[in-house]
Amino acid sequence: MKVFRLALPLILLMGLIYTFNRQISIQIGGETITLPPIGKFVDPESGFWANAEIELSESNELSLEGFKGNASVYFDERRVPHIFAENEYDLYFAQGYVVARDRLFQMELQTLDASGRLAEKIGERALSRDKTTRRRGMPYGAEKALEMMKQDAKTWEIVNAYADGVNAYISSLEPKNYPLEYKILDFEPEEWTPIKTAHLLKNMTRTLAGGNNDDRTSNTMEYFGADFIEKFFEAKPELNDPIIPPSKEWDFERIPVEAPDTLFKPASAVELGEYERPEGVGSNNWAVSGSKTKSGYPILANDPHLSLTLPSIWYEVQLRAPGINSYGVTLQGTPGIVIGFNENIAWGVTNVGSDVMDWYEIKFKDETQKEYWHDGKWKPTTMRIEEIKVKDGETVLDTVIYTHHGPVTKVESNINEEQKPVYHALRWMAHEASNDIRAFYGLNRSENYDDYVEALSHYVAPAQNFVFASNKGDIALWVNGKLPNKWEYQGRTVSDGTDPLYDWQGWIPFEHNPHVKNPERGFVSSANQESAAPDYPYYLDDDFAPFERGRRINDKLATMQDITAKDMQEMQMDSYSYYAETLLPSLLEWMDRDSLSETDSEILQLMKEWDYFMDGDEIAPSFFRHWSGNFYRAVFYDEYETTEATLRYPSRDRFVEIIKAEPNFKFIDDIDTDKVETRSDIVTASFYETVAELENYLGEFGDKWKWGYFIDNDIDHLASIPGLGRQNLFSSGSSEAINATRGGFGPSWRMVVELGPEVKGYGLYPGGASGNPGSPNYDFMVEPWRMGQLFELNFMKEEPKEYLYKLELK
Amino acid sequence: MILLILLIITAYLINLVLPWWGIAITGFVLGFQMKPSSGKAFGIGFLALFLFWSGQALYIHLANDGILSTRIAEMLGVGSPILVILITGIVGGLVSGLAVLSGGLVKDSLNKESKN
Repeated sequence: MKVFRLALPLILLMGLIYTFNRQISIQIGGETITLPPIGKFVDPESGFWANAEIELSESNELSLEGFKGNASVYFDERRVPHIFAENEYDLYFAQGYVVARDRLFQMELQTLDASGRLAEKIGERALSRDKTTRRRGMPYGAEKALEMMKQDAKTWEIVNAYADGVNAYISSLEPKNYPLEYKILDFEPEEWTPIKTAHLLKNMTRTLAGGNNDDRTSNTMEYFGADFIEKFFEAKPELNDPIIPPSKEWDFERIPVEAPDTLFKPASAVELGEYERPEGVGSNNWAVSGSKTKSGYPILANDPHLSLTLPSIWYEVQLRAPGINSYGVTLQGTPGIVIGFNENIAWGVTNVGSDVMDWYEIKFKDETQKEYWHDGKWKPTTMRIEEIKVKDGETVLDTVIYTHHGPVTKVESNINEEQKPVYHALRWMAHEASNDIRAFYGLNRSENYDDYVEALSHYVAPAQNFVFASNKGDIALWVNGKLPNKWEYQGRTVSDGTDPLYDWQGWIPFEHNPHVKNPERGFVSSANQESAAPDYPYYLDDDFAPFERGRRINDKLATMQDITAKDMQEMQMDSYSYYAETLLPSLLEWMDRDSLSETDSEILQLMKEWDYFMDGDEIAPSFFRHWSGNFYRAVFYDEYETTEATLRYPSRDRFVEIIKAEPNFKFIDDIDTDKVETRSDIVTASFYETVAELENYLGEFGDKWKWGYFIDNDIDHLASIPGLGRQNLFSSGSSEAINATRGGFGPSWRMVVELGPEVKGYGLYPGGASGNPGSPNYDFMVEPWRMGQLFELNFMKEEPKEYLYKLELK
Repeated sequence: MILLILLIITAYLINLVLPWWGIAITGFVLGFQMKPSSGKAFGIGFLALFLFWSGQALYIHLANDGILSTRIAEMLGVGSPILVILITGIVGGLVSGLAVLSGGLVKDSLNKESKN
C-alpha cells in the first residue's frame, strides 16, 4: 500500500510528461485532429509564446560562420529587405539568409511537398499525397534539373550561395526560435541543399502545368461523340481575343510532324482525380506603349492568380550589386527575382496552360511489367524504388515503373468489360532537365528588348506569357517555354503508348514561339486565353481560359488614352463580367413570369437593373452566379450522370453561345422526365431552385445575400493550420473578371510599373514579409489588398539613410 | 511561501538549460528537500508554476496585443486567448504539483525506511 501511494504520483508524473511531450491525435466527429505536444507547446520560454513578437528588430551586425563576404540589408517600413552587396556570391547569400529568416517554414514545407517527403516529418496522414508526388516523377524531374544547373557555372554559383545563406540562418537557430509551425507540427528544420531549389521550381510546374483532361476527353469523345467534342472543345467562342493579336503575321513554316490516320481509342478508365486542372490558376498582365500613356513612357501591369495563402507565395526583395539593381517578388527557394523591374525594363508573367502533360496507354508483356510494346518491339522498363519515410511509422517502399514516356500509374477501370486494370504512363514537362534560374538571372539584368529575348531563350517550364516594357519605349509579349511540337489535338485524349506517332516528336524552336513586339494597337496583354489566332502554325492546346478576362482587358485598353499608373491600378480591380452580359439577358427573356411571388419579382427586377459588375456590395452577382450554375447543371447533369465514366464539361463561354443559338439543343431536355423541356422550363425551374437554396444558405432575401459574403474569399494558412489564416473577406471580383478573386484564389501579387527616367513601381500582396503568425506584419497587407490599394515600392538607387532597421552580414 | 518562491526561481533557472520538463526535476528536488505534507505539496507546486507560466503568458499576450494568442486559441478550438493563458498555467501547474508531491512522498518513504 505504501509502495502504491509512493509509486502512483511518480507514475502519473512520468505519464504526464510523456503525454505532454508528444503529439496527440484525437477523433472529433469523424475527423482526426492532431494536437501539438502540449507541454512543449505552451512553455512560455520556448513554446509558441516565444514566437509572439513583442518588440521590433533592431539594427545589428551579424558575424556568420563561413561567410567571408559583406552585405547590407535595409528593411523599409513594410519590412521589405533591400540587399546591397559587392559581388554576386554575397548578394545571393544574403537573399538566402533573409528569405530563411522570414519564411523558413514555407521553404521547407514546399520542398518537402515537392519531393514527397511530407510523411517523413508530419506523419502517416501525408503518405498518400507523397506517393502521388513520387509516382508523378517530381523527384525524378528535380534530379534532372539539378544536373543541368550544375553544368552552368553561374547558376551553380548562385544556387550554392543562396543555400549557404539559408544554412547560415538555420544554424543560428535554437529550438525556442524555430518558426511557429515547426512547433505545431513537431519537427525540426533541416539543412538546405541545392536540389531543394530544383524541387521548388518543379513545384511551380506542378501548380501551373500539372493538370490535364486526357481521360475526360477520351471518355467524352466515346460517350457523346466526336461532334460534341468539336462543338464544345474545338470551335472557339466568337468573342475570343487571342493573346498574340490576329494581325500578327508568321514569317516561318512550322516544322512538320506526322499524325496517325485515325485517333487511338483508349480503354475507358476512371479519371485520375489529382490531375484535373482547376480554373482559377491563371493571371492577367498587360503593357501599354508610350503612345497611349500620359507620361509618354510605357506602363506595365501584372497580377498572377494563385491559391491565396498566408504566408504569401511571394516575397518582395530588392537586389543591388554590380551589374544588377532589381526589385520584385521571389519564390522562396530560388535565387533571383521572378516578377519585377530594374532601372530599364519591367516584366511579368501569366500562365500559358498549354498541354504539356499527356497520358499513354501502355501494353505490358506480362505481369512482371519488365517489358512494354513500342514501335514494333518489346522494350525494357526501368524500376525506381521510392523510399518514403514515415514519422513514427515504418518506411514505405513504392516501386514505380518507368517507360521512355515516363512513370506508370495503374488506373482502376470500372467501365471496361473485362475489369482489367489499365496502365498509363505520364509524359510531362516537369520531367525535362531545365535551368529556369538562368532565365530570371537574365531578366533581372536586362537593359532592353534583345536582352529580354536572350533571357527568355533559357526558360523551359512552366510556360508563361512574359510581358515586357522598356525605357526605350518597347513593349512585347512572348508566349514562352519549351513547347512540344504536336499535331492538331495531339495528347488531348489518352494516347497510344505503343505508337511512336503519339510520342512528342520534337520541340517548337524558340524563335517560333508566339510573340509580338510593338503592335500597332499600342498594347499587349494576356489573360490565359488562346495564345494566338488559328493561323498560328503550331498546335498548343484546346483548352485555354474562357474569353471574358482577355476581351475585357483588350476592350478597355483599346479605348483608353493618357493612361496613368492609377488607371492601371483601377483596371486591376475591374469586376465586370462578360459572362453576365452575354447570358443574363437571355435568362431573363426565357424566364416564365406566371407565378411570381413578391420577393421573386423583386429579385428579377434587381437582375434586370444590374450593371454586370461583380461588386461585393451587390446582391445580383450572388444570384446570377448561382442561377447560371443551376441552369448549366440542369442542362448537363441528367445526361452526364448516365455513365460512371468521368467526363469533360463544356466551358461556360461556349455553353452560352450554344444555348443561345440552339433552342432545340438536345441536352436541354431533362431525360428523367417524360416531358420534353424547353429553355424556358429549365431556366424557370433553376430560378426557383436558386431562390430556395439561397434562402436556405444565406437567410432571407436581403443584405445577407451580398456577393461579398457569398464569394467565400478565404486566405488559408499554407499548411491549412486553422487559426493562422484570414477567413471570410468581404471581397469583390469573380473568376471571369479582371479582378479574378473567388473562393481561395485570386491575385496573389498586384504590380504596376511606370517606365521612364525614374522607374516607379507600385504593388502589394495579401500578406506580409514576415512569415511569423505572431507578428503584426504577417497579414497587414490583406485589408489594403481587399480594398484595391497599392503601395509605392521603395526602389532604392543607393544605400538609404532612413530605414526601419539594418542587418550587416559579415 | 518559501517553497513557492523557490519553485519559481528554480523553474526559471532550469529552463535556461533544460527543456520544459526541467520544472519537474526542480519540483521533485524541492519536494524532496522541503517535504511538505501531501495536500500542500501538490497545492503549492501547482500554484507556483500556474502563476509563473500564466504570468509570463499574460505578459507576452499583452505585449503582443494578443495577436498570437488569439490565433492559437482558434487553432486549439478554445474560443478565447484567456483560455490559452489558463491552459498554459494549468499544464505547468499540473506537472509541478505532481513533481513536488512525488518528491515529498519519496522522501517520506525513505525516512520511514531508515526509521525501520
